[in-house]
Order: sequence, then structure tokens, then C-alpha cells
Amino acid sequence: MDKSVISYILLFVILVLVQALLLNHIVLFNSAVCLAFIYFLIKLPLGMSPNLLLTLGFILGLSVDILSDTPGLNALCCTILASLKKPVFYAYEQHDDQKRNISPSIGTMGFLNFSKYIFSLSAIYCLLSFFVEFVNYSDAVQILIKAGASTAFTFLVILGIDSLIYKN
Amino acid sequence: MRNLLNFLIKYSTWFVFTFYVLISCILLVKTSDNHYSLYVSSANAIGGAIYRTSSEVTDYFGLLAVNQRLQESNAKLESEVLNLRQQLAQYKVLAQDSTETAESHRFGFIGASVINNSIRHPRNHFTIDRGSIDGVKPGMGVVDQSGIVGIVDATGKNTSRVISVLNQNQHFSAKIKNTPYVGSLTWRGDDPSIAFLEEVPRHAKFHVGDTIVTSGFSTTFPEGIDIGTVMGKVKTSDDTFLILKIRLASNFKTLGTVRVIKDSLKQELDSLNNIGTYE
Repeated sequence: MDKSVISYILLFVILVLVQALLLNHIVLFNSAVCLAFIYFLIKLPLGMSPNLLLTLGFILGLSVDILSDTPGLNALCCTILASLKKPVFYAYEQHDDQKRNISPSIGTMGFLNFSKYIFSLSAIYCLLSFFVEFVNYSDAVQILIKAGASTAFTFLVILGIDSLIYKN
Repeated sequence: MRNLLNFLIKYSTWFVFTFYVLISCILLVKTSDNHYSLYVSSANAIGGAIYRTSSEVTDYFGLLAVNQRLQESNAKLESEVLNLRQQLAQYKVLAQDSTETAESHRFGFIGASVINNSIRHPRNHFTIDRGSIDGVKPGMGVVDQSGIVGIVDATGKNTSRVISVLNQNQHFSAKIKNTPYVGSLTWRGDDPSIAFLEEVPRHAKFHVGDTIVTSGFSTTFPEGIDIGTVMGKVKTSDDTFLILKIRLASNFKTLGTVRVIKDSLKQELDSLNNIGTYE
């Protein structure tokens, strides 16, 4: 098996476990949650076939759902995020043959573009998941506050993880 | 045929996308179905194993606080036992052959540890480390040393998922202690230490600080288990009912050891209730 495939599987397992055992239990200021497991979707190479990308997104979401007792919530949001990954990437990067199969990171995209890219994806994910989960239970302002705080938290943690890996 | 295949291949991404979105939506909507909800819950074999392993490590962190609370509840129970023993001795003199009734052995307990807990969702669940092997069944009530905490909704072999009191879809029958006024306990999200007692009759008398206990109208909880204390009245436009703000007795942020309540009369009472609904 390809070395990169094994490292992606490892990343998947670690992120899901960290999310379920640690991050799900940290709620800052009663509203900010860190949904850092989407880092796996962010890191998947761009050249990957769309069907495989959607499938991996769905499985990732479902795994987190099973461990946090929110059936369907993250599976739905991850599938949608997987479908938006490419358009968001090309909103900040030029179409370039050399970059066709890269894995997005600070090293391959540059700090500014990568920050914009993960901020957009985090914001999409947090807005989507909080609206789907709370739509019957809270008003729009509260959902926006929660989603906004969680976007900032998620963005910072993902940026931190990526810059740690980049330095090594 | 060939055109059809070409069409399917050309738009396969759309089909895959729609398929996954549909499955997710079905899972999202059909959360109340007990039978299959076990497989997509933390009480299944894999989730249970993961949380059991992690709680073996993390359980040690909260031992001091747990110990203290157990000691407090132990002291309380001991004094209660002494009181009851005294009363029993008095009654034994009065009625020598009526002390052994079915009621006195009706409820039993199964001790369990909480291995996964959440308080940030609008519908919260937690997972305990006892399952069908230990005699846990869906519908059983769960209490900790301070008061009620939830109802079992799915049981795996070694683990069970419990609907927390902090779940906006779950209501509990409750009443003001030492009065006949019954209401429906509901959590409204946001604060894990506050719930509301709805549908209390307008004429009910209460004081701030009064204790709220289970009503005993269902087979899930025996009568008189603590739930919380009254903080005050909530203003409503409804003239027929009161809504009371309740401070919950249990601390849901640090659930540790809990007990599952086994009601030996549950089957009988439930089948009696079912006869009523067939009319």
C-alpha cells in the first residue's frame, strides 16, 4: 500500500478519536466548540476522484456521529463540505497544472491563502452543523453566535495543527 | 442502454452526493426508533469499547470529588436507615404480620459508571458501562446520588445509551414535594443546571426553595426521588398553568457513578396500561 494512504488512515483514526474523547467535551464560553476533525477533509489531495472524496466525507461524519450520539448530523455536513472543497480551494488559488494533485497545507498554498481556505471551510461547516442541529431549538442570533465562536476556535486549532506538521 | 450508462457515469457524482445526503437526512429525522438506533449510537460494540478504555484512564481524575459526594450521600443514607429502622420497630409492634409487602421489594438498583457524556447539544445522551448482560433494559430510569439523570433508550451487550434530563425531546413527570401538584419537567437548552416544570396547575402553592421530586406516575422512577429545587415562577400568557424554574440537583457536567432503577412490577403495570389504550 502507498505510504500516503496509510498516513491518511492514521490521520482519520486519530482525528475521530481526539474529537470524540477530547474536543467534544470542551465548550468555551458556553458556545465555542472545536470541530477539528474536518482537517482530514481539508488535507485530502485535490486530484482525488469526487466520488471517493464524498464517500470519505460521509464515513468521517458518520464515525463522529456514532461516537457523539448525533446520528446523521455530521454525516450530512461532511458530505456537503466534501462537495464544496474544490470550489473553495479554487476561489483562492489559480488553476495550475503543477498544483493539480497537491494536499492543501501552509507549505503548498502559502500562509495567507491556506488561512483563507481553512477559514472558509470551517465557517461553512460550523454554520451548517449548528443550523441543522439547533434550527428547532434556538433563535437565529444564538445559532450565529455559537457558529461564529466555533468557527474561530476550529480555525485556530486547525491552523495550529498544520503549522506544527509543516515545521517538522 | 449505452446512453443510459454514459449518463449514469457522467453524473455519478451527483447520484453519490444525493445518496449520502438522503441517508444522513433519514438518520437525522428517525432518531426515536429504538431498534436500529443502537447501531448508530455510542452504545454499539466499537463505541462502547472506545469509551470504556478511555474512561479507565480518565476516571481517576475526578476521584476526590466523587469520593466526597459519596461520603455525603452515605452519611445521609445512614441516618435515614436509622430513622426507618426505628419506625419499623414501632410498626412491627402495631401490626405483626403486615411488614412484608410486595411494595417493599419492588425496586432494585444496578450500579454503573458514565463513560461518555455530553451537555452541549439540544438533545443530549450519555453512555454507561452496563448493558443487557447486566439486566439493563430500555425504559429504565437512571439516578445519581443527587437525583434523577435520565432514561435508558438503547442497550448494547455491555453498554447502554441514556437519554439525559438535558434533552429537549424528553419530558419527566414531577411534582412539588409533599403536595399533589404535578407538572412536566422540561429542559430548554443552554444552561445544564436549570430546567422548567411546566403545566403546573395555577392554584398550586409553592415557595422558592421547595423540592421537586418524581411523581411516581410512570414505572420509570419510584415516587419521591429528588430532581431539584424551585428558583421561581416564569411569567407566561397562559392563564391555566404555571411554569416554575427549577435548579437541577444533579451536576451534569461531572456525572460519575449512577444507578439504573429496576422495577419488578414494570411488566405488569405496563401491560395493564396497554389494555387501557386498546379501547
